[in-house]
Amino acid sequence: MTRGLWDREMVALVLLAAVMPMALAWLWYGGSAAFGRLILTLFLSGFWHLVFMLARAQPPSFAGALTALAVAMLAPADLSLFQLVLGISFGVVMAELVMGGWGRNVLHPATVTLAFLGFGFPAAAWPDLPLPLAWAAIPAALIGMVAGVMPVRIVLVAALVGAAAVWAGLPVGPVLPAAGIVLVLLVGDPVASASTRLGGWLSGLLYGGLMILFALQWQQAAPLQMAVSAALLVSLAAPLLDEIAISAWLAGRKRRHG
Amino acid sequence: MFTNLRSQGLRLPAIAVATTADCPVVLTDEAAITAARNEELRVDMLVGEDALVAQGQPLLRLRSDPRIALVAPMAGRVARIELAPGRRLGQVVLFREGDDRHVHSAGPQDEAGLRALLQGSGLWQSLRRRPFGRMPGGDEAAATIFVMACDTRPGAPDPRLALRGQEDEFAAGLAALQRLTKGPVWLCEAGAGDLPAPTGVRRVGCGPLHPQGLPGMQIHRLHPARTDAPVWDIHAEDVADFGALIATGLLAQTRAVSVTGAALREPRRLRCQQGADLRGLGHGYLRPGPHRMLSGSALDGHQAQWLAPRDRQATFLPGTSTPAHRHWFAAALRRAARPMPIIPTAALEQALGGDIPAHALIRALASGDSEAAARLGALSLLEEDLALADYVTGAEPRISAQLRVLLDAIAIEEDAA
Repeated sequence: MTRGLWDREMVALVLLAAVMPMALAWLWYGGSAAFGRLILTLFLSGFWHLVFMLARAQPPSFAGALTALAVAMLAPADLSLFQLVLGISFGVVMAELVMGGWGRNVLHPATVTLAFLGFGFPAAAWPDLPLPLAWAAIPAALIGMVAGVMPVRIVLVAALVGAAAVWAGLPVGPVLPAAGIVLVLLVGDPVASASTRLGGWLSGLLYGGLMILFALQWQQAAPLQMAVSAALLVSLAAPLLDEIAISAWLAGRKRRHG
Repeated sequence: MFTNLRSQGLRLPAIAVATTADCPVVLTDEAAITAARNEELRVDMLVGEDALVAQGQPLLRLRSDPRIALVAPMAGRVARIELAPGRRLGQVVLFREGDDRHVHSAGPQDEAGLRALLQGSGLWQSLRRRPFGRMPGGDEAAATIFVMACDTRPGAPDPRLALRGQEDEFAAGLAALQRLTKGPVWLCEAGAGDLPAPTGVRRVGCGPLHPQGLPGMQIHRLHPARTDAPVWDIHAEDVADFGALIATGLLAQTRAVSVTGAALREPRRLRCQQGADLRGLGHGYLRPGPHRMLSGSALDGHQAQWLAPRDRQATFLPGTSTPAHRHWFAAALRRAARPMPIIPTAALEQALGGDIPAHALIRALASGDSEAAARLGALSLLEEDLALADYVTGAEPRISAQLRVLLDAIAIEEDAA
């Protein structure tokens, strides 16, 4: 009869708290330009949440702020205002709100926004993120995992794959910071990632593998572009990986119990 | 410590439990025979109002199977018989009077004799079958029986304490249970595993964290229930009562019950009769102010006046059940969004014991996909097994209620087939 706390908004708030180290580091190095951009993305995301609340009776969510933060940080730098508005509106509406809001979406709205902006306006250069931001991703991931709102297996396996690649001497050094930041901001979203155990392991493997593949084979792409593309592909594969995990679990139970 | 690490479950906020060793017998002045939650019993009364009855005397029989009786929990006078239309059992209230005890004649010790004894003495009601969580039918054959000598619900009485001094009866009851099923009998116990058990009984240790001590989790892990192979579970104390019933013909008068909750001045551990009046259990121990009486734990209990047939916990929570006032707009938004989306977190996974693909199961329940839910193990589960997930996620509507709807739908399909 008593109720706990971990409803949707609580998870969103804890996720927001977890990415705070990254947000603060980014604002510290980005200055007023970064701050203005964050205000713009927050305003746009909030606007669409408000529209869907009034038109479709969908409760707004703090997850909109997560999307806004990720887009403000990772979107290509020299986009015009119109392009940015178009990209965010597409991502927030098509990837999240038309599905019924956060918790019912399949893809992370920020991933969709970034993929839309990156591939729709290829002339715009991807931003060069300051290295301390990548270091700030480590406490962010730790807070998220300890609080249980970030998928531990994905983050751990992806980090292990990265470490293994470095150890094996592959030339992945330049993409590692971007890969880490995107891992925490986009891939580590609990809704858009695999929810089963085996699915989590496989997602982490897939993300790490894709990053290595892109780093070795994708010439002339910015590290952030590679990371966002890998995040999009992992997000798209998550339902399949979950289905594989559940089939394996069912097969194991059938073998055990007949 | 390391067993805690291996055990899959959640550490819940600690609640005060009685620490004193004594366990006084508290027989409330009123008690009632009721059906378990979600169970519909059509009954024939064997006595009328105002009749004087002995403890353990059959008072009513099921119309579906007249061999199954429900008995008086204490010696007393039948005060009120409330039947719903269709002779569905509402409640039969008794006032305590005298101290006569009904002696059940134990027949032959074969399967038929033991079944007849269980059914005639009312102990049949302490068995619960899965799928669906009801009393088994009179001729039903169980694929296996789970005996629960552990309970991890917050504030639950320790079954090992309740069994102290009744070890021989418990072993005899287990031996009798083995004759009721062709499959194995599983004994789930916490800690050292030192309860006496005859050969052939399979011992399982359950972890210390909730929900590992729920029969649903153990059944799901060890022997999943199917519609054509039902699994029964029974509390260890009822097994000891069964053993004593075989030996003496007398039905146990009391059961160990813990009374907890924030509305109490101090928690209690006591022995009371089945169907005891919850007001009587809390009397003299309540803090002033409004409170809610639950039969069951704070997680899976329901508001009630009487201790429900299989419950061994009473919980008193402060406050009233009317929800906090919400602005009309916020309330309308919340209603429009039902069922609220559930975010897959580590807490949710642990709340279902770690093994079950929690999010997939919850999605199947929310969308009413009975096939997928059954494939993921919903037939082994009951409301109490999902109560922790409800607590963790604050889901609306409750996940356990969604499971009940689905189980009822599957049961209707099975009956039609």
